[in-house]
Parts: sequence; C-alpha cells; structure tokens
Amino acid sequence: MPLLFPLVVSALLFAIGVYGVLARRNAILVLMGVELMLNAVNLNLLAFDAWHRDTLHSGQILALFTITIAAAEIGLGLAIVLLLFRTRRQINLDAVRELADREDTDREDAEVRR
Amino acid sequence: MTTSVSAMVLASEQAGQASGVFSLMWLIVAIPALSAAVILLSGRAGKSWGHLLGCAAPIASFVLGATMFFAMLGRGPEERAVEQQLYTFIPLPSYHVTAGLLLDQLSVCFVLLITGVGSIIHVYSVGYMAHDERRKRFFGYLNLFVAAMLLLVLANDFLVVFIGWEGVGLASYLLIGFWQHKPSAATAAKKAFVVNRVGDVGLSLAVMLMLATFGTSSFAGVFGHVGAAGTGIATALGFLLLLGACGKSAQFPLQSWLLDAMEGPTPVSALIHAATMVTAGVYLVTRSNAIYDQAPAAQTAVVLVGTITLLMGAVIGCAKDDIKKALAGSTMSQIGYMMLAAGLGPAGYAFAIFHLLTHGFFKADMFLGAGSVMHGMNDEVNMRRYGALRKYLPITFGTFAVGYLAIIGIPPFAGFFSKDKIIEAAFSSNVWIGLCALIGAGITAFYMTRLMYMTFLGHKRWAKDTHPHESPPVMTVPLILLSVLSIVGGAGLAYAGGGIVSWLEPVVGEKHLEPPLSVAAMTALTLAVVALGVAAAWWFVARREVPVEAPVKVSPITTAARKDLYGDAFNEVVLMRPGQEVTRGLVAFDNRGVDGVVNGLAAFVGGLSGMVRRVQTGFVRSYALVMFGGAALVVVAMLLVRLS
Amino acid sequence: MTSILLAQEFKSPTIEYAKVAPLLIVFGVAIVSVIAEAFLPRRFRYPTQVVLSLGSLAAALVVTVGLAGSKLLAAEGAIAIDGFTLFLWGTILVMSIISVLLLAERAVDGGVTAFAAQAAALPGTEAEREAQARRLEQTEVFPLFLFAVGGMLLFPAANDLLTMFVALEVLSLPLYLLCGLARRRRLLSQEAAMKYFLLGAFASAFFLYGMAMLYGFAGTISFSGIAAAIGAKTGVDGLLLAGTALVAVGLLFKIGAAPFHMWTPDVYQGAPTAITAFMAACTKIAAFGALLRLFYVALGAARWDWQPMIWVVAILTLGVGSVLALTQSDIKRMLAYSSIAHAGFLLIGFVGVRDHISANTSAILFYLAAYGFATIGAFAVVTLVRDASGEATHLSRWVGLGKRSPIVASVMALFLLAFAGIPLTSGFMGKWAVFSAAWQGGAWPLVVIGVVASVVAAFFYVRVIVLMFFSEPAAEGPTVAVPSVFTSVAVAVGVAATVVLGLMPEPLLQLAARAAQLVG
Repeated sequence: MPLLFPLVVSALLFAIGVYGVLARRNAILVLMGVELMLNAVNLNLLAFDAWHRDTLHSGQILALFTITIAAAEIGLGLAIVLLLFRTRRQINLDAVRELADREDTDREDAEVRR
Repeated sequence: MTTSVSAMVLASEQAGQASGVFSLMWLIVAIPALSAAVILLSGRAGKSWGHLLGCAAPIASFVLGATMFFAMLGRGPEERAVEQQLYTFIPLPSYHVTAGLLLDQLSVCFVLLITGVGSIIHVYSVGYMAHDERRKRFFGYLNLFVAAMLLLVLANDFLVVFIGWEGVGLASYLLIGFWQHKPSAATAAKKAFVVNRVGDVGLSLAVMLMLATFGTSSFAGVFGHVGAAGTGIATALGFLLLLGACGKSAQFPLQSWLLDAMEGPTPVSALIHAATMVTAGVYLVTRSNAIYDQAPAAQTAVVLVGTITLLMGAVIGCAKDDIKKALAGSTMSQIGYMMLAAGLGPAGYAFAIFHLLTHGFFKADMFLGAGSVMHGMNDEVNMRRYGALRKYLPITFGTFAVGYLAIIGIPPFAGFFSKDKIIEAAFSSNVWIGLCALIGAGITAFYMTRLMYMTFLGHKRWAKDTHPHESPPVMTVPLILLSVLSIVGGAGLAYAGGGIVSWLEPVVGEKHLEPPLSVAAMTALTLAVVALGVAAAWWFVARREVPVEAPVKVSPITTAARKDLYGDAFNEVVLMRPGQEVTRGLVAFDNRGVDGVVNGLAAFVGGLSGMVRRVQTGFVRSYALVMFGGAALVVVAMLLVRLS
Repeated sequence: MTSILLAQEFKSPTIEYAKVAPLLIVFGVAIVSVIAEAFLPRRFRYPTQVVLSLGSLAAALVVTVGLAGSKLLAAEGAIAIDGFTLFLWGTILVMSIISVLLLAERAVDGGVTAFAAQAAALPGTEAEREAQARRLEQTEVFPLFLFAVGGMLLFPAANDLLTMFVALEVLSLPLYLLCGLARRRRLLSQEAAMKYFLLGAFASAFFLYGMAMLYGFAGTISFSGIAAAIGAKTGVDGLLLAGTALVAVGLLFKIGAAPFHMWTPDVYQGAPTAITAFMAACTKIAAFGALLRLFYVALGAARWDWQPMIWVVAILTLGVGSVLALTQSDIKRMLAYSSIAHAGFLLIGFVGVRDHISANTSAILFYLAAYGFATIGAFAVVTLVRDASGEATHLSRWVGLGKRSPIVASVMALFLLAFAGIPLTSGFMGKWAVFSAAWQGGAWPLVVIGVVASVVAAFFYVRVIVLMFFSEPAAEGPTVAVPSVFTSVAVAVGVAATVVLGLMPEPLLQLAARAAQLVG
C-alpha cells in the first residue's frame, strides 16, 4: 500500500475533527471533534511505524500513549462539561462568554446580571 | 580632528584610579540618593526636618565636588580625569559592563552646576513651598532628581548614563505632576513622560548598538574603537544619540513637552527645565564627541536641529503671555544655541558647555525671579496682569534685570561671553547658520525686553485684591547669589585660569576657526542686532498701553507663535486625526487629555487596540478558529520559506 | 530447557534514579497526597497537604541543587539532565513553593482558601450555602498542583517526543481543573476551565499531529535521532516542515504567543488568582524550556526553515500583547496581555540566534527567572485588594490605592516598573540580556520592534501606577486584606528578587551562563 493512502485518510479525519471543533456548538460534539483529531494522529503514527519498519515500534507505543492520554483527557473534559451543564442547564458553547474584551458598560451590565 | 580624538582616547584610557579625596566620588551621588530615600520613606515625622535634610544633601555634594575640583586644579591637565569602578553590572561572556564613575574636566563642570545651582534652588524652595503641606515629598523628589542627574553626568559607561537618564525622567515626571489636583499638571506630566520615552528609545538603541559592535558600552571602550568601526556605525550612533538628546533637551521635533512642563512648581522649572536636566542632551552630544567627530552627517543634523529649535523657541517666546511659558520658549531657544555649538565639532564643544553653564546661572535666576513675582501676585502668571512691579518688588526686579542683561548679551554680563562665541563659531563654519544665530539673538532681545517691560515697567494692570510684596530673604538671597553668578560667571569662565576652553581641551579637543570678520566687528554686529531687538520691543510694546486682554486681531505670525508654531496642531493633523478616524465608532476609550505628538500616536494605538480587541469576543469557537488560522499560517509560512 | 531460558541474560533499561530524584519526589508525594485526601479526616487534610506540598517541593529543590554539574541523558535517553534542565528545575521549584504559599492562604477571605468549598455543589444553591457555612475547603488542589509541577519539571527535560507529550499532558490536565475551582465568581471560573480545556486539547491535537509527522520524517522519536536525520534524509522535507510547524503550534499555545494567545486573557481572568500566578510564571517557564530544547537540540539544523516563522509570531505577539493591554480595564486581563507581551520579548531572544545558542539560552533563562518572580508577586498583590464580592480586579477600583494602602501600592508599582523594564529592576536586566543576545544574533529589526513595544508597554504599566498614586480614591473603595505569613512571604520574595536581580544581576547571570549547555 502506498504511504500516501493512510496519510490522506488521516489528514481527512483530522480535518473532520477540526471542522467539528469549529462548527459545533454542543460541547460534547466539540469534544468528539478533538477525539477524532487524536485518532487521526494514531492512524498516522501506525502508518509511519510500519513504513519505517521501526524495530523499537516507537510509533505504536506513541499511539498507545495517545489513546491512554486521550481517555484521561476526555474524562476530565466530560467532568468540566458536566459542571457547566449543572450550573447552566445547557452546554451551548456560544452561551458561555462572560469572559471577553468588551466595553466597560457591557461588563457592568453583565456584573449586574450575575 | 584626529588629534582631538586621540586626545580624548588618551584622556579616558589614562583616567587614573580614584585615590585620596577622589575615592569619595561615589558619595556625591549617594548622599542625595540616600537623603531622598530617607525623606520619602519617613512618615509624618519627616515633616518638620524633611526640607532641611533636603537642602543639606546637595550642599554636602557641592562641598565634595568643589573639594575635588580644587584637587583637580592642582594636577596637570592630563592627570585630571579620575575613574572609580563600583561593581560589575553585566558579566555575560560576550560582553562586560562595569558600573563606574568618571570625574573629568567635563563632568566636574556639571557636578558644580547641578549641586551649586541645585543647592541655591533647594534653599529658595524652602520659602516658595512653605505653604504646601506636601513640601517634604517635594524635597524628596528634588533630591532624587539631583542624585539621578549626578549619576548621569558622572557615569563612565553609556549604560549607567541611561540609568541616570531614566532617573531624571522619572523625577521630572513626578515633579511636573506634583500639583496633581490640577488636571493640566497631570496631562503635562504624562506628555513629558511619553515624549521622553520616544527619546529614550534612541538612547537605548544606541547603547545596544554599542554593545553589539564593541562588546562594551564604557566611554573608554566605545571611543577607543569607534574610529576603527567606520563611518556607518558612527553615523548610526550619532543619530540615535541625537534622538535621545532631542527628547530630553526639548529639541525639534520633540520639543512640545517643555512648554507644558511649566505646570510644575517654579523651582522645578528653574532647576530641571532650565538649568540642568534639559541640558543633558547637550552633555550627551559633547560627551560623545569622539563619535560625532567620525560622523559628519550626524554633526550636520545636530547643527540643523539646534538652529531650527533656537529660532522656533525664540518666536514662541515672543508671543506667550504666560511668564513661565515665555521663559520656557527662551530655554528651548538657548539650548538650541548649545546644540548648534555642539554640532560644530571641536570648534564648538567648549562653547556649548560654556553657554550651558552661564545659561544655568541666568535662566535659573530669571525663573526664580518669575516665581518670586508669582509669589507676590497670587500665583498670577499672565504678564498682561502685571506691570509696574519695579517699585513693589525691588530685589526681584534688580536680580531679574541682571538676568535679562545676561541673556540678551550685554557686556560684561555672563551671556555676552558665551553667546558671542557661539555666534562667532557659527559664522566661521557657515554663513547662513551664523545669520540664523544672529537673528535669534535679535529676537531674544525682543521677547526678553517685552517680558521685562510687561512685568516690571509700565502701568499697573493687576487683578483686584492683588497686593504685591517682596519675598522673604530665604527666597531673595538665592536670587542675589544667582544674579552675582550671572554677572561674573561669564568673564570668570572665559578668562580665569586660562578659561574654560583650555580647561575642557583634554576632553573635547580644540579647534579654532577664523571668523569671516574680525572678532571686534562680530561683537559690534551682534550688539547692534541686540540693540535693534530691544528698540523694536520698545516700539511695539512700550509705546502704548499694554491691553489686559490679549488682542485678537493680530498678524498670522503672532497667532502661529501663540499656538507654539502649530506644533500640536501639526501633530494633531498628521498623527491624531487618522488615529481618531480609526477610533471613531469603535471604542469608547479614555482619550481625555490627548494632545501632542506622541499622545496622537497613543490615540492611534488606543484606537487600534479598541479595534483589535473586538476579536476577543468570548466565543471559545472563534478562539479556536483564530488558532486554526494561525496554525495554517505557520505551516504555509514554513513551506513558503522553503520554496522561495 | 525452561531453566536455561530463564537464566539467559538480557539488558534491562537503566534508570538513573538519583539523577531524576526531583521528579520522583514530586510525583511520589503527589500520589501520597491523593491517598491522604482519601483517608484523612477533614480537619487534618489542610495542614497535611500544605506540609506535604511544601516539604516535597523543598526536598526536590535541595536535590536539584545537589545535582549541579550533572550532564547526562537519563532513563535511556528519555530525560536530559544538564545545566539547562537543572536551572529550570530550580526556577520552577522556587516559583511553585511561592505558589503553594498563595494556594494555602486563608487569612484574606475569612479563614478559608480561595478554592470552592465543594466543587460539586451548584453555585447559588442550598448545597453550596451549606458547604460555605460549614467552611469546607477543596484540599484536592494540592495534589493536583503537585502533579502539574511534576509535569512542568518533566517538560523542559524531555529528550524525546513521547516524554515531551506525556509531560505536556501531565502539566496541562491538572491545570484545567484548577482553573475551575474558584470559591468566588464560580461561573467565570468554570467558563475559564472550559475554555482552557477545549483550546488546550485542540492545541495538543496539533502538537501530536506535528509529532507524528516528525516521527514519520526521522523514523525515531529521540531528539538526537531527529537532529541526525535533518540533513541526512532528503525527499521527505515536507514532513519535517509541516511537523515543525505543528509542534510549534502546541508549544506556542502554552507560552501564550499570538495568534495562539486567545485563551490567555479569559483564563487568567477567570481562574483563581493563585492559580493564575502559578500558570503565568511556571507554565511559561516550563514551556519555554521545552521550546528551546526541541527547537535548538532536535530542530537546530533546520533553523533557517523555522526562524522566519518565529519572527512573524514574535512580532505578532509583541503587537497583540502591548497594544491590547492598553485598553484593558481589569487588572488580571491587563497582566494577561502583559504576559503575552513578555512571551514576545522572550521569543526575540529565542529567535535571534546565529551561531552560538549559549548567549540566547542564558539570556532567556535569566529573563524567565526575573519575570516569574515579578509575576507571582503582582498576582499575589491582586489577591489582597478586595471588596465584598471578592477580589476587586476592575481597574476603577484601584484608583487611589496609594492613599489607602501605600505599601501594597508601592509593591505593585515596583512589579509594574519591573515589567516595564525600568532600570534598576530585574525586568530591565532581563530585557537587556534578551535584546542584546538577539542583536548579536543579527535580529536587529526584531530588537527595534521590541524596544518600541516596550515603550508602548511602559505606557499601560505607568497608567496603573498613575491611577494608584495620583488620583483621589473613590468613596467606598476596596479594602486591602491583611494576609497571613504565607502571602506576605510570597510578596516579600518577589520584591526581594526584583530588586536584587535589578541591582546585582551578576550571580544569576553567571549561573545562567553556566547553565546554558544543552546535551543531546
């Protein structure tokens, strides 16, 4: 198999992941986008590992670590999203924007509202 | 020219290590610094003795400086420069910066000026600030200034000069804004700070360039190597140092802050914005003579800057009704003379310093005189509200008159000796520059006569409830001292012990140019022009009653001069308006008090800031989009670099 | 047969335990303190955690000092122990000790720490009120903090891609959580955690993708292997370039360089101030260490490819940091933009290199130390200025602070002057070191831009000083809380370091110069 194939597939996967992060408003779906990006990388790593015939299998090990860390990351991410959901009853990311550069008057309004 | 350079290098390389009385050199700086710290950190307790300590510190430094001056007199001309290493400041392997002090013929002049005139002004301030409840703090700041200024002139390394440079900037900022309850004072302080920072960029880049090129920023190292480094480096250094000098000395095009700086208490105007700090630029150029001698283009720039400023300042001085602002215009103009002289190379350095010293005497004298007038006139500064004060303030009038005669250059008063020399040297180098300097002398005579007449002669035009009275002795004695200096200072410096030119020769070199006319003819010509200026002032001002309100129907030139020759307007049109266009509708940013050259820039940056910050929307996904765009940019940039 | 097989020798990996002891101590105690959190009764937790954290960090610091002079690749080449690593370890450990002091501060907010009483209780509910009333504290912050410190220690020492990635995540994950644990203004705090987490994960994905490409390019994950591959391999340069760019994204995100800076102001503002102080100082130090090691050691030979890109980023960062700080009205946001500007100054030192990296490395090391002390100190002062709703961070509340509390205002002014690079403060020496190293490296246009940016920056620092000293205080201004010995020590150390490094930079500069050796 040409090296190009897995690389293109993984690049596409990565791009879909990026699209998910940029286009989705639901925090869970954004998290899924990030996961997709990480999985694209795993595919890449394995392809390179096989291509280089790496006797140390650094690529595979790296992929394993990535999977583990991605799991930890998603666990933490879900915890944060859950916290957000419990306080706001929604996980629309666009609704969460108290912190921003805005004019003073706006901010005072925001402080009054809080 | 080369001889002067080698003389310079010789002098600084052979500067002996400090011993005997000279080993106390560091105390000259340390005493006022320590006193400033004590005064500022002492709580209420310091209120009763703060001003006394504040006066004692510069006097102690003066005594030390004078002792060392006499010790220097006892040595041969080549052994007078003394160096004292304090400690190693930057020991990086690539370069080495040691902090040390250098007392030579040039710096000792400044030490005596700063501590001498400084002490007199400190004493005067005891009376002037007597009713201010923050007098203690005022003296703390003044001492801080003296310490920083002494560090500036005593440093043996440009990096240490820079530290003093920032220090005097800070002190000046604090003192201009000392009466912070006046919004105009706060604005003026801000303006001075910002404009000075622009100048500081020049100086800091110059030091960086020195470190990068020579691996050191010490005077000895830089001046020793600059000859071999080529004209390019020397020219770049010359222009960068000139930028620094322009900021600190209120030279064109960074002149706009000095007039506003008059918002500070009058002793501050006398000490910092007339006698010492504003002349730091002249010191810098003179000190760097080895650099400028290698860079004719930079020298020409110095001459041009000086000439433009001396005319501008003089014209502005003609139109101001505020006595302090008229004097400030005059200060700009006189420093223009010094810069002009310093730009002439070895032919002019000594005259620049000569005029700097005499100007320090007579301008401090007149500023303190103005303060004494204001003291008696309920802090009125508008000269149209003065008149006939001669009888009511006799001592102030007498001392002010001495200063007046000195500045317009009537023999045997101080200004005659120093200014004539500059005009002579200017004529010898270039007839047009000489003519400008000559015309400047005429205008000086005009505006000073106008000021003198409107204040002390003519009829009373006082506001109601004004009861002018002579100031207490604590203020008049300093005035008398300064006026004595204004009388004898010129002749003394010119002739005593071979004169200042031969005194400074080991440091700055000497070159005599033949003036196109004989010296006597030049003097006669100058005096004739001065007389013309006085007569013109008499014709225009004294012939009829001075109107209490400034006339509205005046010539375009007067209007222009009243508006500082459109300095701020120019800045507004070129810098501020486009900035405001950017700002308009985008941001409600605090632009109050924005005016002048750099504040225009500030408005621009502020507007830009208001525009860019709209990107920070708070939407996390738009942040991610920016990051993604950045990542794409980074990848594309790298690929492009490889392809090209 | 089996017995013969079992008797066969094989070469086990060697771990130089003594050399990586600081890491082991911090991670080990972090685990112990998780256990302590689970088993100790509530009233013992706070003192135990504080003692454990301070003790482990101090012990790690002592061991680090003892390791001085080491120069080797430990753990089969995964960790580089050299002067550079040890200097950064020392700096990070000192800064984290100061940060622990801020974390443990209880006096300024009525006898409890600045962290949520019970993170699970919803803001504004009965449960939260009860938790508040029972004066509960979330002492989990201490183990989380220790794990983050461990990750930060590992990050600049990592000598292969895998270790570097693990370190990156170990330092980031606890920080995401810590950001969301503020006691006051919990909604803002949670929002900060969410933003930091999502953007951090996004940046890690880019970093990882870049790593995969670098691995694909070199066929190895060790830095020395990658360095050897550059120049030796031809035809796959695309992988090298794309990989370099993408790992740069991940690292530049951590140091807060534009255009990857967007999280910084929001997160710095929302996070508990003690955590902000810790992040601003230690994360930046660790991430710069990693950036230097990766780009100088592994990618040094490809310098001509990545230098222009870093130039652009440095200029953007300086511009964004110093221009946007001008219009900020919240002190924490202003300090955030100031930290972005400082990242720009550091990048100038990083990129302005021609032949020898030692001058640049030592300049950056010095700058990081100087900046770190001043930053923690400044944020520590921010925790002290309070009103009824917690910290009064809006700049309008700081008006006239100099009249109300001259000491606190003067200390803040000192830190701001150091940030502005005024002579006789540490910031001045740091800027000089960085600028002159870059100038000698031929990056003079960057230095000019840097000097101009520092002029703009001076303007907004001085604006705050003017606000504090030259304006009349508002009628019902904030109060200045009297801190316990913890915060006092933190602020005092910051002041002392700022002044000493400004007046006598020589010892630290020499140490940094000696530490500027990277193995590999």
